[in-house]
Amino acid sequence: MNKAERTSAKTAREKIKEQQAAARARDKRKRLTTYVTAGVVAVAAVGLGWWYAASNSQPEEAAAALAPITVQADGSVVMAKQGVTAPVVDVYEDFQCPACKELERVSGQTFKNLAAEGKAKVVYHPITIFSQEPTKSNSVRAGSAARCIADGKQWMAFHDLLYQNQPSETEAGFTPDQLKNWGKEAGVTAQGFDQCVTSEKNADTQLSFSKKIIDAQKINHTPTVKLNGSEIDNSALFSPQELRQAITEAAK
Amino acid sequence: MTTVARLVLGGVLIAAGALKIGNPADSVVAVKAYQLLPESIAVTVGYALPILEIVVGLLLVVGLLTRVAAVIGGLLMFAFVFGIAWAWAHGLRIDCGCFGGGGQLGVGQEPAYLLDILRDFGLVLLGGWITRFAPGRYALDGALGLGGDNRNEGEYDDEQG
Repeated sequence: MNKAERTSAKTAREKIKEQQAAARARDKRKRLTTYVTAGVVAVAAVGLGWWYAASNSQPEEAAAALAPITVQADGSVVMAKQGVTAPVVDVYEDFQCPACKELERVSGQTFKNLAAEGKAKVVYHPITIFSQEPTKSNSVRAGSAARCIADGKQWMAFHDLLYQNQPSETEAGFTPDQLKNWGKEAGVTAQGFDQCVTSEKNADTQLSFSKKIIDAQKINHTPTVKLNGSEIDNSALFSPQELRQAITEAAK
Repeated sequence: MTTVARLVLGGVLIAAGALKIGNPADSVVAVKAYQLLPESIAVTVGYALPILEIVVGLLLVVGLLTRVAAVIGGLLMFAFVFGIAWAWAHGLRIDCGCFGGGGQLGVGQEPAYLLDILRDFGLVLLGGWITRFAPGRYALDGALGLGGDNRNEGEYDDEQG
């Protein structure tokens, strides 16, 4: 091999090396692009899904004043504009149940708005579904205390306060002192309220009412919400928009 | 082996996410039941968790961004192990919420904490394995030359010698 040949062989090798370097760089770029694209798409999918779930569960704004609320003799509570008798929305709930709290957070305002718009007659049935402690006693104390309130407006304010302050399922909560304070906060001025709460005067009534309702309506979980007697699916129940649509359609 | 691990971990994540995604409220209640996170964060996590599980699961199954997905999947499972152990230690009577539902247990149901922990811990290990040996066969990463390790670059190195 003479000198010239050697030089050309060298440049050939260098050329190949350069080409390889360029190929590597191209490859690196391509790899980076693919990675970034896939990453962006994945993050966007998660973000979109989250956004959809969150917006689907966006509670309604409080619109008008509440429809008239009447506490009935058996402790169930009717919220409806005068003359509105259908469709009937029955809410079976337990003040101690976290899913009921979640329902209240997501869809509570929808029930109130629909009643205020005269599009539904909403009936609350506060029951005690728990059979183990401490949840059972918590629920009975709260349910019993709610039964000490005769005024509908105060009852609803108390109802809302109970959910806002729901105790953990692992500890004793809804203490008589707390319940009395929330009663005051809800505007209860009736004499005998404190005594009624402290003595748990309505505990037995709360339990027998719960048993009766659970048997008659075949309730095995709370919250159970029935529209004209048939249960509303959870996916609709926890989506204010779908819930409104289902109830409004039943009104037609 | 890595491929099997990917399919198992990815499949579990997809199943867990799919069962929850139709019912974000359940997912939120389940997250809250652990009493680990403040309320507002629990709500966000509850909404995000199902979709995150599905996306990470899909990435693992098709083998795209395998290493990243395996790390996230493994961390998720580790968080579940931690959450369940935490619930156990605090005597919370909740089911793990792993496959939808979740929250408080009904009457007569006993939580199977140990089983849940063992299963999820096994999945953590799978996540670790995938991270170490990514991406395995039949992975898009491989097909696209996105090995995630240096094996593919080796071709050029050999020629240079």
